[in-house]
Amino acid sequence: MPRLELVASLEGHQDRVWQAIWHPSKTILATCSGDKTVRLWAPASHSDMSNWQCINTLEGGHKRTIRSVAWSPSGHEMATASFDATTGIWEHDQRDNDWECVATLEGHENEIKSVAWSSSGQLLATCSRDKSVWIWEVETDNDFECLSVLQEHSQDVKMVAWHPHQEILASASYDDTIKIWREDDDDWYCSDTLQGHTSTVWALDFDASGDHIVSASDDQTLRIWKMYKPNNAQGIPTPSNDPTYRTVCTLSGYHGRCIYSVSWSKVNNHIASASGDNTIRVFTQTAGGDEPSWEAVATIKDAHGVHDINNVTWFPTQQHGDWLATAGDDGVARIWRLVEDE
Amino acid sequence: MALLNANPVVYQTSINNIRVESETDFDDDVVDPIDSEEVYELLRSISDPEHPLTLEQLNVTQLQHITVNNDENHVLVEFTPTIPHCSMATLIGLCIRVRLLRSLPERFKVDIKVRKGTHQSENAVNKQLNDKERVAAALENKHLLEVVNQCLTTAARDAVAH
Repeated sequence: MPRLELVASLEGHQDRVWQAIWHPSKTILATCSGDKTVRLWAPASHSDMSNWQCINTLEGGHKRTIRSVAWSPSGHEMATASFDATTGIWEHDQRDNDWECVATLEGHENEIKSVAWSSSGQLLATCSRDKSVWIWEVETDNDFECLSVLQEHSQDVKMVAWHPHQEILASASYDDTIKIWREDDDDWYCSDTLQGHTSTVWALDFDASGDHIVSASDDQTLRIWKMYKPNNAQGIPTPSNDPTYRTVCTLSGYHGRCIYSVSWSKVNNHIASASGDNTIRVFTQTAGGDEPSWEAVATIKDAHGVHDINNVTWFPTQQHGDWLATAGDDGVARIWRLVEDE
Repeated sequence: MALLNANPVVYQTSINNIRVESETDFDDDVVDPIDSEEVYELLRSISDPEHPLTLEQLNVTQLQHITVNNDENHVLVEFTPTIPHCSMATLIGLCIRVRLLRSLPERFKVDIKVRKGTHQSENAVNKQLNDKERVAAALENKHLLEVVNQCLTTAARDAVAH
């Protein structure tokens, strides 16, 4: 059985860490916190990957908690979502290796919970406790135009995530649903509502193909959803002539409290989850098709001591595809390595 | 401003509710797990947001509705709003949460719920009180934090007096 080994603990934040997000290609981790800062971490040297240090602190951009941070696909920009109801856009200045807040996006009525860049880097999505999802177009000179304000969730929207290679957005909400958003001639609309969770959906992630979604909920389960196109062989109805998602697998009994985060590796297909029960779990797929099965292959109890774990993220590329980053209420981010035995 | 519940029933606080210290409480060699009485002590003197009365006097918190599991590091507090449509229920629950957040060891996971059948928006209140992200956002609201701290001053005073 594979197991998780601790690679490094990154200490420095003055409050809980909400997210730890990998740079799209480099060994740099961005963490955001209740202390209103983002910290960037990198190994002290290429030869010693166990010794990480804080290489930048992004501060002064937000008056309240930074709940979410997202790298642009190029890695030259970052977006920060804050409880102060604004989204910060940060640009890397290569001359002095510093990060500067170059734009602030306003419009949401209250706390922003999540921000995400599309795979092309052309679109940005944000969501808020005000129940809305906003889609922004990235223009030249750090200009952002709001393309659409989507108001179909009936409660606080917790997370937005883009399809890995298409301009399709998914959002997860306190109203217990996930919604899929598509564009039709500059008009964004909800093409599907995924119902099944019995409490808040905190997080979701697509698989590498984009044909599956995994979601994590306060109901202590993970659900795997499969996309069915119109006229599918299985006879799943698609009333609006858009693809529809159905739950094909529910993972229950693994976490004893709210599951705050889930990550589906684009490299090795493993799913990792993090929970308020202080545990990280890694699942592997044992059967595919319309009735896939998954089993837990590695567990770390008390991964952040007695504290909740708020986020888990697989390294995005082959280079360190076995690396996992976690963020905890203890103010610490951790890096783990999945070790396959023999 | 009209009070929501103008004439609340005031309950006689029982002397039996006050925890009697035993000799072993002062013996460092005796393991002293946190029990429901200790949690009750932390909560009973919190002030009601509307009335100059404590949660104990209004029967909002009761010893038998507190469950502590030391081995599993879990605390469940069920409270009873004074009236089924009490709009202060979320605020009272938030005061209870903040009090326990500040007083209990970090290892405890705390669930706070309205006692079943005592509030018409029971599920909505429970969901909000147990969403830590919304609790964190609420506590960054200066005005709300002031109100919470106001309700907790009596509890803090009480704890010091003991």
